[in-house]
Amino acid sequence: MSETNEVKWRNPLAVWPGGKEIEELPTNAWHSHQDVWRARRESKTKLYPVGRLRYWYKFAGHGGRLWSRMRYWPTRRRVLDVRGEYNRKTLQREKTVADRRPIYWLLCLAALAIAPLLAPSNMQYTLLVAGATFGIYAAINLCWNLVIGIGGIFSLATYSIVGTSAFITAYLSIQYGFSWWMLAPIGAVVGLLFGAVIAFPATRLDGFYYALLTLGLNELCRVYFTTSSEFGGSNGGLYGADSYIPDSWSSDHQLLLGYYACFGLMLAALFLHRFVGGRRIGRLLRMAPEKREAFAEATGVDFRRARVWIFLIYAAALGFIGGFYVTNFGGVSFSIFSFDAVLLGLAMLVIGGIGRPEGAVAGTLIVVFLDKVMLGLGPLRLVLVGLIALLVVLYLRNGLFGIKTQFRAWRDKKKSEHRSTRAEKGGEMLPEEATETDDKGIVYARRFDKMTRDHLKTLVSPEIIEEHRVTLNGQHSDALERLLIYFRTREQVEKYGILNVVPFKNYRIVAFSGHKGVPPRLVEDRIYPSYDAACHGVFLRRVQDLLES
Amino acid sequence: MGNVEIFGYTDKISVKAGDAIQFHVSTEGTEEVEAQLVRLIHGDEHPDGPGFIEEEVDCMANGTWAVAKQFTQVGTFLEVDDPENRLALEGSFTLWAFIRPGWPDSGKRQTILGRWDAATGDGYGLGINEDGRLEFWLGWDGEIDRLVADEKLHLQMWYLVAVSFDAVTKRATLYQEGVGNSYNSLLGEVAALPYASHPSGELRLSQQNLTQTPFLIAGARDRSEEHGDFVGALYWGKIDRCGVYGRALGREELDAIGAGEALPKDDVVAAWDTSLGYTDRGIGDLVVDTGPYGLDAKGYNRPVRGKTGWNWTGFTDCFRLAPEEFGGIEFHADQLVDCKWPAAMSLKLPKSLRSGVYAMRLRAGEGAGLREEHIVFFVRPAKPSARIAFVFPTATYLAFANEQMSFDDPQRQSVMGRFPIVSEIDIELYRRGEFGLSTYDKHADGVGVVYSSYRRPIPNMSPKYRTPSLDVPSGLAADLSITAWLEHHGYAYDILTDEDLHREGLDALAPYACVLSGTRPEYCSERMLDAVEDYIAEGGRYIYMGANGFVHSCGFRDDEPWALEIRRRDDGYKTWASAHGEQYMATDGMRGGPWMPLGRPPQKLVGIGLSGQGAGSSEFYRRMPDSYHRMSSWITKGVEGEIIGDTGLADGGAAGLALDHYEHTLGTPPHTKIIASSGGHTDVYAVNQQIVLYAYLGLYGSHDSRVRADMTYFTAPNHGAVFACGSIAFGQALPVDNFENNAGKVLANVLDAFVEPGRLPGWAWISEEKQWR
Repeated sequence: MSETNEVKWRNPLAVWPGGKEIEELPTNAWHSHQDVWRARRESKTKLYPVGRLRYWYKFAGHGGRLWSRMRYWPTRRRVLDVRGEYNRKTLQREKTVADRRPIYWLLCLAALAIAPLLAPSNMQYTLLVAGATFGIYAAINLCWNLVIGIGGIFSLATYSIVGTSAFITAYLSIQYGFSWWMLAPIGAVVGLLFGAVIAFPATRLDGFYYALLTLGLNELCRVYFTTSSEFGGSNGGLYGADSYIPDSWSSDHQLLLGYYACFGLMLAALFLHRFVGGRRIGRLLRMAPEKREAFAEATGVDFRRARVWIFLIYAAALGFIGGFYVTNFGGVSFSIFSFDAVLLGLAMLVIGGIGRPEGAVAGTLIVVFLDKVMLGLGPLRLVLVGLIALLVVLYLRNGLFGIKTQFRAWRDKKKSEHRSTRAEKGGEMLPEEATETDDKGIVYARRFDKMTRDHLKTLVSPEIIEEHRVTLNGQHSDALERLLIYFRTREQVEKYGILNVVPFKNYRIVAFSGHKGVPPRLVEDRIYPSYDAACHGVFLRRVQDLLES
Repeated sequence: MGNVEIFGYTDKISVKAGDAIQFHVSTEGTEEVEAQLVRLIHGDEHPDGPGFIEEEVDCMANGTWAVAKQFTQVGTFLEVDDPENRLALEGSFTLWAFIRPGWPDSGKRQTILGRWDAATGDGYGLGINEDGRLEFWLGWDGEIDRLVADEKLHLQMWYLVAVSFDAVTKRATLYQEGVGNSYNSLLGEVAALPYASHPSGELRLSQQNLTQTPFLIAGARDRSEEHGDFVGALYWGKIDRCGVYGRALGREELDAIGAGEALPKDDVVAAWDTSLGYTDRGIGDLVVDTGPYGLDAKGYNRPVRGKTGWNWTGFTDCFRLAPEEFGGIEFHADQLVDCKWPAAMSLKLPKSLRSGVYAMRLRAGEGAGLREEHIVFFVRPAKPSARIAFVFPTATYLAFANEQMSFDDPQRQSVMGRFPIVSEIDIELYRRGEFGLSTYDKHADGVGVVYSSYRRPIPNMSPKYRTPSLDVPSGLAADLSITAWLEHHGYAYDILTDEDLHREGLDALAPYACVLSGTRPEYCSERMLDAVEDYIAEGGRYIYMGANGFVHSCGFRDDEPWALEIRRRDDGYKTWASAHGEQYMATDGMRGGPWMPLGRPPQKLVGIGLSGQGAGSSEFYRRMPDSYHRMSSWITKGVEGEIIGDTGLADGGAAGLALDHYEHTLGTPPHTKIIASSGGHTDVYAVNQQIVLYAYLGLYGSHDSRVRADMTYFTAPNHGAVFACGSIAFGQALPVDNFENNAGKVLANVLDAFVEPGRLPGWAWISEEKQWR
């Protein structure tokens, strides 16, 4: 701010006759705009070198040659979504695999497939039994994930469906001699019926209440089956059902067959998960997660129908798994209905990350490994599982497989924290910020703008504001002209203009959008009686914006 | 009832009494409007003037009209005339085109060429997807399969793109190869971005061809409940030669096309040679097919032709010299030349109707703002009757029609030195974005708009309209201040428009003893300039009522007078500039840009030419010594003191907005007298860029003597004469103080003298001077 009002500005146009022009007005003492430029010799904060070393190889591809793009049969999806990009630093071609998950899946599944061959002989039995259990539980969790992850319905009825199907099929096998290959399909039918019963409340009840309902259902099943004499209330379960594992085989071979059969079951569940999740029903359900149903419905998504469908698919698949369970283990125990089974299952989902197939599988792997392989730890195993689940819930937003996005979000948060402490608002760009701008002209524009504003701020004074009021469209002093030239040359985004509400009577200040077709917005309620008053209003706002920047 | 809005236009801008005229109307929120024919007397509502004055006129069409909301097809594309459905391809095929994407990152799908129905998902198409990549797609009843190129298309780079589809194996192969050279594209060879991509893949289906789907270039058929059939997925950028083969072309064959070799002759279905049919006097809308079936394509909303092509080598800068290098056609999805709404009313004007500016006033609701529309048109007499004619500069109105610079152009505030002031109508027009742009605006892809037209609503050609960047009426509303003055003082006058001048030349002006121009007759075709020049040379008396006149070229097609073409170039005031090689008009082959570099500066015609422009404050004139010479002293007779025009509706003076000055070196006739000159303009007024060689500190009002308005007078052969006012604001100074003021006094002196046949006053004072003092 100028401290003296001794200085006068003489209007060069005052010599022209007519008496229209003001002869002289108080103004600021003049000083050069170059002062700011000459005084600024270094940045206010330390500038760090930026740039990241490329220490891995990136396939450059070949633009000129023919490139055959394969698809996953029979879908229209490309094998690995490979995208051509160009490196913004070198302009060179680069190929990026947009979705590397198929590669990781393939590697992991291959590892599971050859795992029995690599298992140490002393651990063979434990590992193969654990592996078979893993396969079954992974399949169960994948199906569970369909409703929790994709459908967004918090159903805890999973084990009650598996259990009911298992008990009924085991009963049929033992009492009526149904052979093993019939059990899984029958289980699917049982599951379907069960699903039909519990699907409808799911369209009405909110998450928490539905979870309670299904938990109650689970308890009901447990009580029913343990107390009913037909289902072996006395001996802790039903055993002696027909199994697909031939008795004549050696125990090693039996174990191997069991392992691969369960592995196959998991693959089937994975396929189901991919199939349902990737199709229309999956997309519909993802548009209507809990608490956003009303919005989805308003946009024309029939989420109730989709939820009923996903429930039926889920229940039928679980029923199938129940039947398979019986043929695999030759029976089923009441512990399948126990609360700890539900909790253990939930822990598997939570650890891996709800909503992703890889989460369901990896979570199962970890929990089953602790529960069935680390037998030496005793009851501590379950404490460990609980601890891991607790840590995951406490520190990770979406399980193990959410770590990547969570890490990035955290890094972005740190980045903006650091920037806000180092960078000036509206000031020059830091080297880090400059890397994010393709148009380097903007980098200079920011510097120029900063310097200009630093100078212009020193020009704002009551004299200049008064000068604008009286000489609105006339000749201006150097200080006022500089301010006006700056205000007029700004970019169009949020630049002020005036709205003519009633000509010659009623004017308001608006801000332009700078985007074609987007109308300007009103910036204040004030109404000005004349264009000149509104112009001065715009000037005052711009001065205020300048001083605040 | 929601927001009620009325928009309309006429099929003709200039009609004679007794002619028929059609009104095209679209409304929002109402199905009937009250129509009343009015004669417009005065527009500007400035409190210092007489305010808005209209005179209701009886006619058959007055009363209630049934109206409806109309759909406007915006955007340019080519529609192929294919009555036998040759392009409903069943077997293998190849689509190919040379393209220069203008906005690959628009985020919207763009069709280059294809026979695609987006509403049903049937047919095939080659285009740019939402991600900015080349894509080939085909569909069968909504099941769509696609093949995408793996390199993005880069902005303003020339490519040859193609897709070969084998109907037996269902294998599609895309071809994308850069064909840029040092001249034709944005980037040169030093910035070698990856341009090439040749992906190939088997598709799961083949296309279903519906009989009613048209084959379009730069767009695709779509449909909505509200609009019915329309064209969407419009393309931004240039397309040069393109075509269709009835088999899958191999890589070598496409490489040969990209090398500029002759096209393969066999299995051609269509081969559009975009550079055929050019003449020295312009290019039409028909794109010629050289293939066996003659499947010519017709442009909609005038795709811009005569643009540099993929093979432009920079040696020639005009399509007339080497048409084969100028095959580029440029498409813009926001271009509009004709709304093509059905007529809401047709009216045969009474034979006795007085010549004047008329409007069909449509009102709904309270009849203010957007609830009132004046559809303006100009009526000439059935036969010329008056001795005075006023020429409305409709070409300039068109150049400015629907100008949106206050919203889009950050320089606008600097040029005018004011904060812009917009109205409800401006905002609505901007929000809709469907009534096209002015030749001052840029398309959304940043390319300047070259076509404007009156077959669309033009709110800024209505009588009360105030220009947002000035808060002063310009164009029609400003010119009405002159005709209102004529009206007030009882002069009998006829009116003409630029369209009449362009169409009839001298014949339109010849019947009149005196002709007055509008305040800003800036845009002139060659025929219009010739008409004025011949009129003056043959003894006509011309009053140049403004400034910034006769500056810039423009073109019209004879059969489509509603559309005007402008090309802007490096040597004039401009809000954008045509690219090199694209500075010649496609309508008539004339050089675009200002007339001065062609040897026709305005000084040569009317004595003065553009010296500077600005806004915010207008000054007055002070008499110059020549006004005391008896040859011309009669002009200022009755003016008290030396000051002329110290009041006005445009920024408070008669010298403002745009100023013209006398300049011998630019061809001002040697005997021209300066009657009065303005001075003391603010620094917002800058010297006309055309007469500036270097930019340096001091090219502004308080520094440079050229920033002034000169009021001049000279005599011409056969008792002809030219009086020039020298400023746009002069006309708006006339209505002040109930039309009684010193600016009006000067004009009355001139007009009274000019309408008298025979010698002009002061004719005898021509001896050499022998001064005693």
